[in-house]
Amino acid sequence: MEHNNQADQTEEICVEANGLWKIFGKKAADILNSDLRFESKESILEKTGNVMAVRNVSFSVARGEFFVIMGLSGSGKSTLIRMLLRLIDSTSGSIRVNGEDILKYSKKRLMDFRRHTTGMVFQYFGLFPHRDVLYNVAYGLKVRGDVSKEERHARAQEAIETVGLKGWENYHPSALSGGMRQRVGIARALTINPEILLMDEPFSGLDPLIRREMQDELIELQDKVQKTIIFVTHDLHEALKLGDRIAIMRDGKVVQIGVPEDVITSPADDYVREFVQDASPAKVLTAGGIMDQPEALLYEWQGPKAAIRTLRDIKEDYAFMVSRHRNLLGLVTLNRLKTVIQNNGASLKEAFTPDPPTTNPVTILEDLFPIAAEADYPIAVVDEDGKFMGEIQISSIFENMIQSKEAIADE
Amino acid sequence: MSEFPRFLNIPLADWVDRFMDWILTNFSGVFDAIGHTLLMMLLNIERFFLWIPWWLVVIFVGILAWRVMRKWTMGVVMALLLVLIGSFGYWKLAMMTLALTTSAVVVSLAVGIPLGILMAKSDLAEVIIRPVLDAMQTMPSFVYLIPALMLFGLGKVPALFATLIYSVPPVIRLTNVGIRQVPQDTIEAARASGASPRQILFDVQMPLAVPSIMVGINQTTMMALAMVVIASMIGARGLGLEVLLAINRIEVGRGFEAGLCIVFLAIIIDRITNALATKQQKSLES
Ligand SMILES: Nc1ncnc2c1ncn2[C@@H]1O[C@H](COP(=O)(O)OP(=O)(O)OP(=O)(O)O)[C@@H](O)[C@H]1O
Ligand SMILES: [Mg+2]
Repeated sequence: MEHNNQADQTEEICVEANGLWKIFGKKAADILNSDLRFESKESILEKTGNVMAVRNVSFSVARGEFFVIMGLSGSGKSTLIRMLLRLIDSTSGSIRVNGEDILKYSKKRLMDFRRHTTGMVFQYFGLFPHRDVLYNVAYGLKVRGDVSKEERHARAQEAIETVGLKGWENYHPSALSGGMRQRVGIARALTINPEILLMDEPFSGLDPLIRREMQDELIELQDKVQKTIIFVTHDLHEALKLGDRIAIMRDGKVVQIGVPEDVITSPADDYVREFVQDASPAKVLTAGGIMDQPEALLYEWQGPKAAIRTLRDIKEDYAFMVSRHRNLLGLVTLNRLKTVIQNNGASLKEAFTPDPPTTNPVTILEDLFPIAAEADYPIAVVDEDGKFMGEIQISSIFENMIQSKEAIADE
Repeated sequence: MSEFPRFLNIPLADWVDRFMDWILTNFSGVFDAIGHTLLMMLLNIERFFLWIPWWLVVIFVGILAWRVMRKWTMGVVMALLLVLIGSFGYWKLAMMTLALTTSAVVVSLAVGIPLGILMAKSDLAEVIIRPVLDAMQTMPSFVYLIPALMLFGLGKVPALFATLIYSVPPVIRLTNVGIRQVPQDTIEAARASGASPRQILFDVQMPLAVPSIMVGINQTTMMALAMVVIASMIGARGLGLEVLLAINRIEVGRGFEAGLCIVFLAIIIDRITNALATKQQKSLES
């Protein structure tokens, strides 16, 4: 767990929270300075009437990272994400964004920060009911005061099109469905082209179908614009699907931070284990995570005889053939090789099947099942450029699933 | 028989008297200036109402009522009520009453909306202002006549001033309520966008408070009209004075006519401002 607490050292850190506390109530400072702060939320509430919402939270998020904060209702997620924008004042701790301590900002500087650096999307949208979509989306530019109306509208228009709401500019929010309102909220955050997007359960009010659609769109958007995203959810599958890393909160504390697979395969405590219990490994493990390196590869310039020798050496009846740059060309099998040699064929090209089943390293196991059902030989894993990365034995798909289930059950 | 102990006596009446004396000796210049401004405004409004031809008023009110209530029958009814006032022979007095009411409403809004905003923005201000408003509205309205008289003497200005004290609370109250009931998440979204408190007030809170403020304006107007009869005791001319004279001379018919005219004015003003308020509410919801 420790090593995942920090963002990857080689990457530039964008947001860094250190020892953040938030206690709601009049006695916040007293509680923080006494041993009371170690007691449970309930007992603090009972003794002092104050609410311990966020407790000594530290994390850092790299530039361009998709960071998910997950936890049950009341665990302090919203409080935490609001603190990052100083919508709620922290009781103690520090928040650095791009190296600057934002808690030291003056009112004016804070307004500038919100106007230029961050965009926030709220669970309940927070749209202006008395204004149309265009005004809502352009509002982040309007408050700057120095952006002309033409530019505001042009940029708002662009964001409206990005979220697929073209044609709805002059409708009021009340005329839109929940999913469309949320898109307005997202467009409003995007219009100012912020470095950092903060999203508090943006999809939890939506029905499952639209929700999945919006998640896919967000992933696509993230690929396109490469923002740093801090995303709050109470849905594990959403967290696993979207997050580069996930922080799990419980009673105001962060109990684990890690990449999705770590969280699933080695939960930090019972709380996380319970959380991930119903998460199927098939939805979590990826092709890239379970692939192996074959013992040998064949190269396009090799002859059939050399190839057959290689296969005999590694005692396999197949091998993948790649180009000089390791681009996958096809699958060569022992039987085909034998036929080619019998017919005095001189080129390995005559012996290969050009389109073997392949997959992408980020594909989850669940999506491998249909491919595996069709495949007679292992599945090749190739990246976006067609480069060969590894292979997956059909049997290992199921082995991996069983292993990870057992690992969870054991602990 | 029990005697209340003398030492527990609080000479509040004395204190108030002394306070008023003190104000009068030290601030009479200020009150003269205020009185003069109010008088100028009132006279100009009154001159205007007496200057416009009666039929223009009737047509204007008819069309306005038709537009805001979206029923031409309402336009006709409102216009007819006005004509009736004229037929009873009270046109001029009604216009004077209307001038006093209008002046009171204008000043009420000018004072009340900023105070309402202050009250909404500061909890301390709310704690202080709220009981004052309660007192202003529950105290018998005659009581206002006394300080009004002392500060401004007899005449139109004290009448306006007394009317004002009575009619300003609703608009303050409803501005406050309107701003405070703006959903927190809407305001939070504006803050997150980097809006300044001023931008939040004008872009979000005030527009969303408009329906509530309109209800306040409606109530303020009705209160002002209700105060007209009482204000006539210290020198406001108009329908109120007519009622007062009729009561003094026990002329039932005359009192009835004048009273009816006040009721007609009240109906016209209430229906129109009320329809405006509902319209605002609807345009926000749709
Ligand atoms: N303004 C406030 N005053 C007092 N207590 C608060 C306030 N805001 C939040 N809390 C309390 O702080 C705790 C954390 O609340 P928070 O809204 O951050 O939880 P959450 O994880 O976002 O929950 P959910 O998933 O339901 O949104 C809760 O116990 C809540 O009651
Ligand atoms: Mg929340």
